Amino acid sequence: MFCEKSIELIRELQRMRDGQLPAFNEDAVRQVLEEMKALYEQNQGDVNEAKTEGKSELIPSIKLRHCCLLRNQRCVAAYLYDRLLRIRALRWEYGSVLPPNIRFHMCAEELQWFNQYKKSLANFMRSVGGEEGLDITQDMKPPKSLYIEVRCLKDHGEFEIDDGTIILLKKNSQHFLPRWKCEQLIRQGVLEHVLS
Amino acid sequence: MDPSEVEFLAEKEVVKIIPNFSLDKIYLIGGDLGPFNPGLPVDVPVWLALNLKQRQKCRILPPEWMDVDKLEDVREMERKEESFTPPPSPYYMELTKLLLNHASDNIPKADEIRTLVKDIWDTRIAKLRLSADSFISQQEAHAKLDNLTLMEINTTRSFLLDSLNCMFKLRSNMQPGSGTGKALDY
Amino acid sequence: MSDALSDGGSDHDDSQEDVMTPVELIAKLEEAWLNEKFSPDLLENKSEIVECVMEQLTHMEANLQRVSKGDTKASVHRMEIDRIRFVLSSYLRSRLQKIEKFFPHVLEKEKSRADGDPSYLSPEEYAFAREYLANTETYLKAVALRHMPPNLQSVNMMKAVPEPCLDSFVFLRVKERQDNIMVEPETDDQREYVVDLEEGSQHLMRYRTIAPLVSTGAVQLI
Repeated sequence: MFCEKSIELIRELQRMRDGQLPAFNEDAVRQVLEEMKALYEQNQGDVNEAKTEGKSELIPSIKLRHCCLLRNQRCVAAYLYDRLLRIRALRWEYGSVLPPNIRFHMCAEELQWFNQYKKSLANFMRSVGGEEGLDITQDMKPPKSLYIEVRCLKDHGEFEIDDGTIILLKKNSQHFLPRWKCEQLIRQGVLEHVLS
Repeated sequence: MDPSEVEFLAEKEVVKIIPNFSLDKIYLIGGDLGPFNPGLPVDVPVWLALNLKQRQKCRILPPEWMDVDKLEDVREMERKEESFTPPPSPYYMELTKLLLNHASDNIPKADEIRTLVKDIWDTRIAKLRLSADSFISQQEAHAKLDNLTLMEINTTRSFLLDSLNCMFKLRSNMQPGSGTGKALDY
Repeated sequence: MSDALSDGGSDHDDSQEDVMTPVELIAKLEEAWLNEKFSPDLLENKSEIVECVMEQLTHMEANLQRVSKGDTKASVHRMEIDRIRFVLSSYLRSRLQKIEKFFPHVLEKEKSRADGDPSYLSPEEYAFAREYLANTETYLKAVALRHMPPNLQSVNMMKAVPEPCLDSFVFLRVKERQDNIMVEPETDDQREYVVDLEEGSQHLMRYRTIAPLVSTGAVQLI
């Protein structure tokens, strides 16, 4: 059956949850391209024969192959484009440096696309609203004006809070800090939320 | 819209606080605040009220509607009427949550208020489900939604809009020739 | 109150900027933010609002540099700055997401825009959209298209990338009364009819019907 491999590519992504990037299926893409080459060459031959020898009975199979060619093209493009959307989302999730296990799943051209995307986004953010620019990958959640009690799990050094005060994050010290300022440190395991 | 964003908008609402400190007028970009004098009530946005409260710099006065008698009347009305009655505040749910979670010692009968607001919310959400259901089954093209709050709209938004869009796609795909090729939108 | 800035995209009249106070500016930013969040289509850019808000933020941050640390007033200002910066970033993010989602259509619309019509994209957004298109085309070509038969080496992006669905339903609140808004029938056995949108009322209807009212500011998406 024609187009089986290309449907496999689509299925592969559909099985994945949003945000997951499976390894680039170079093998399947190559096989689809090979099938397309074969279909095209057969059609070239049949078209010539149909023209020179007037074999109109060849026309249906030419049409069928052509439909398969279009379908293959469409599936491969959809596969590649959907992966780009996932890769784009990674920039927003991880920042401009991707973890090695994710890079490992990308092909060389995808890495190029990612680097160019990073550059375009950085240019955009630098030029927004005058000289200063604005990093719009920050402030993803509304700020909270609330404070929480946290305990320091390891030495982290100096830390500036919203009113400009600098505090020293020393192991086992306890602090009363703006929640949105600590969220990242809590995720990193530097602080823990003390529940009273 | 993320519920935290609705809460963010609710935090712009103004409440009265009684500060225990003195401070000159603050000229914020979004308007002036203060001056603050110990013991004198002053209007501030909820985000600031909560922050000051947490730092033990003020007492929050509950909004006028956050009152057991008033809310009991609202609950009665809401249960009696078939349509949505005017909400106690456009952000009644979020404000109740914020103020009761962070300043419950300043709100008399906090537990009763929590229950009343929850009852009002439940009654309204039940009505909303019914009207969304009839909107879809009647295939309406327009609905008037007066008195619905943003948080209420937000709870049905994605489900209702996705269903409507999905049905629209199914209907328009039945008409031949309208399904344009979407190679990448598989 | 009828939009000191909404037609600013094409018009650089300084006297218009002067009439808007910072309070009105922030209100305009919040309106633009919610409209952009809920509209299925990319709206006209409001770069002048963005620039003015950035100016306000920069100015305020500079003032705060001079204030002593730990000052109560300064901490209130910082909280406000955080709030405004969030709205501004979220607004720009919503736009950028739509630009990425609909890039061929967005660029086409910008190209076919008549002289004097307001521009949908800010100059930065336009540059971004063009780079995004070029980057994506280059990528598809390099990985697959150039290995395909000669007649299949290009993809029509306009057809391949979905366009904004203007038939999506939206929630809205009316700011200026509108009479006789035509509501299209949903099914063959319904008839079209008109509704009046009273000031302060809220509605659920198709975006296409009220899109012009969003750009004039007569309705607010919610």
